[in-house]
Amino acid sequence: MGVEAIIGRCQGLLEDLDLACVSEWKAAGEGRKAIGFLPVYVPRELIHAAGALPVGILGAGEELEIVRGDACFQSYICHIPRSTVELGLRGKLDALDGALFPSTCDVIRNLSGIWQLMFPEKEAIYFDVPQNLDPQVGGVFYRGLLAEIVTRLQRVVGRDVGADDLRAAISAYNASRRLVRELYDLRAAEPWRVPTSEAYLLLRAGMRLPVEEHNELLANYLTAVRDEDRALRDNARIVITGTFCEQPSLDLIRTLEHAGCYVVDDDLMLVTRWYGPDIRTDGDPLDAIAEAWMSADDETPCRYVADGTRKGQQLVDSVRRCGAEGVIFAAPSFCDPALLDRPMLQAVLEEEGIAYTSFKYSENTAQLQPIREQAGTFADTIKLWSDA
Amino acid sequence: MTLSAGVDVGSNSVKAALVDDGGADARRLLGSAVQRIRGMDLADAVEECYEAALAAAGVEREAVDYVATTGESESVPFRTGHFYSMTAHARGGLFLVPDARAALDIGALHGRVIRMDERGKVLDYRMTSQCASGSGQFLESISRYLGVALDEIGELSRRADDPEAVSSICAVLAETDVINMVSRGISTPNILKGIHLSMAGRLIKLIKAARIEGVVAVTGGLAADEGLIAAMTEAAAEREFPLDLRPHPESALAGAIGAAIWGAFRHRKLSRLAPAG
Repeated sequence: MGVEAIIGRCQGLLEDLDLACVSEWKAAGEGRKAIGFLPVYVPRELIHAAGALPVGILGAGEELEIVRGDACFQSYICHIPRSTVELGLRGKLDALDGALFPSTCDVIRNLSGIWQLMFPEKEAIYFDVPQNLDPQVGGVFYRGLLAEIVTRLQRVVGRDVGADDLRAAISAYNASRRLVRELYDLRAAEPWRVPTSEAYLLLRAGMRLPVEEHNELLANYLTAVRDEDRALRDNARIVITGTFCEQPSLDLIRTLEHAGCYVVDDDLMLVTRWYGPDIRTDGDPLDAIAEAWMSADDETPCRYVADGTRKGQQLVDSVRRCGAEGVIFAAPSFCDPALLDRPMLQAVLEEEGIAYTSFKYSENTAQLQPIREQAGTFADTIKLWSDA
Repeated sequence: MTLSAGVDVGSNSVKAALVDDGGADARRLLGSAVQRIRGMDLADAVEECYEAALAAAGVEREAVDYVATTGESESVPFRTGHFYSMTAHARGGLFLVPDARAALDIGALHGRVIRMDERGKVLDYRMTSQCASGSGQFLESISRYLGVALDEIGELSRRADDPEAVSSICAVLAETDVINMVSRGISTPNILKGIHLSMAGRLIKLIKAARIEGVVAVTGGLAADEGLIAAMTEAAAEREFPLDLRPHPESALAGAIGAAIWGAFRHRKLSRLAPAG
């Protein structure tokens, strides 16, 4: 399968707001269940181990007019919970048998309550990842929480989930994370070969497909894109940060690229590449997942960083590692985690002499000209007036 | 010397320029071309325009060190790099009018004023809002109502003896004004001058808002409209606002020229940064 066909398929999955692909998957096997999850992080391994399909709930983008969703949230709340409610009330999430709501922020937490009121027939699992990273405190708490999620998933699927099921799921997602890291490494090294609009579509496809099928798609893309002759452009190399939850539209990502930017790192679709090394597949699998969370070095605004002096270090490291020339802070309007962290991260970049620019968006932002203007002038500034 | 090309893909036409650039004062325009898009596939228009510019410059395609785009870059698959249109117009304006520290870019879709320094670095800008009444597209629509060719507008406007005021805010209302004027028997020169004065008022407001005085290079397609330039000069004098507007015979090419100059700059910079060997 060539790059165009792979990306075409991914685009089709992105546009599948009715989750027809999920319904088809369920229909292909008796008793199959699908469990949705909100950004940023969920242990998808547990859903997979239960034999269910993990399905990313990432709003409706620019494709759906929000009518009833607005009734649930004040005007100063971001867009993704509105479109999630709208999708649910319009029956577009009917293929899901339940959903996991991580502790990304208060809005996502409250969305889990709204979901329970509106869709009482569906399972709603809110889970609170530990902020205390002491293994004896947060680790024990998280291990217990994972076991509780497994118990609730067992009720949904109507069967027991064994240690071998969990180990197989960990292996499948370890393979996924390796492929995603390979994709990101290739893009950082040769960004002209892997446009971010394509990388993003590939990751979004993983929110709809079974992990094994998605892994095959990723591997095929990596092979195909290396064989494709693509022109190197004189673009500014930038890192995007702040996009970890409500996703920018594909058009917005393309706008940044057309404005003369190569995105060499980002925090889009973080669920696909949480953790550094593989999660171990020996011993107790829930212990292994809990350990991986506790020891992961991932810094996002919705994960507590106990050592304040380290705040922003991961962003600086990303800039250095990927050879970036600047950072674009792109955050959803009213995203508390991203916008509260932004001044701290900007201060760190200023200390390091790294250029940056900032804007806000919504998943349904249609007026892209101001963003194109801002990104274009930022790229020009880097190319014409920086010392490098 | 660096041989660079600039391709400016606008909403009405494609402009291409070839520049022989040695940096500082050692740069010259080798050749250029303009291709109207109307009715054409955009990719074909780009290709034809670029080929025509290469032929005018007597340059082989393979000899070009850097192809820089501005405007809609996606339709130029052979580009090396892209510059935002403001960046390109500022540099092109400075090349055409070296005394200028500002460029007034009046294109098909909007008017925009850019304040810059002696290197062409953009310091500030203002542009017309989404309403098209300060743009070439608006003027083109009006010329169709009046049955006047675009290149006749300037001269007709200068013959006006009693210009008729039109709405200065909304292109739709202004068009209605014009239809009313035609039915009332207002002469074409007086209608055109009224439109020019209306556009001039909007553009002068932009210039004032950007705190620009003195020499202003006029770029974009409407720089060739002598009626508009005259109306702006008159309107500035009436407001006792010191403004020295300098259109140039190659003003329509300013974006392409500016992109080419910045492309040459990048080519030299990247050559310096490239690892030896």
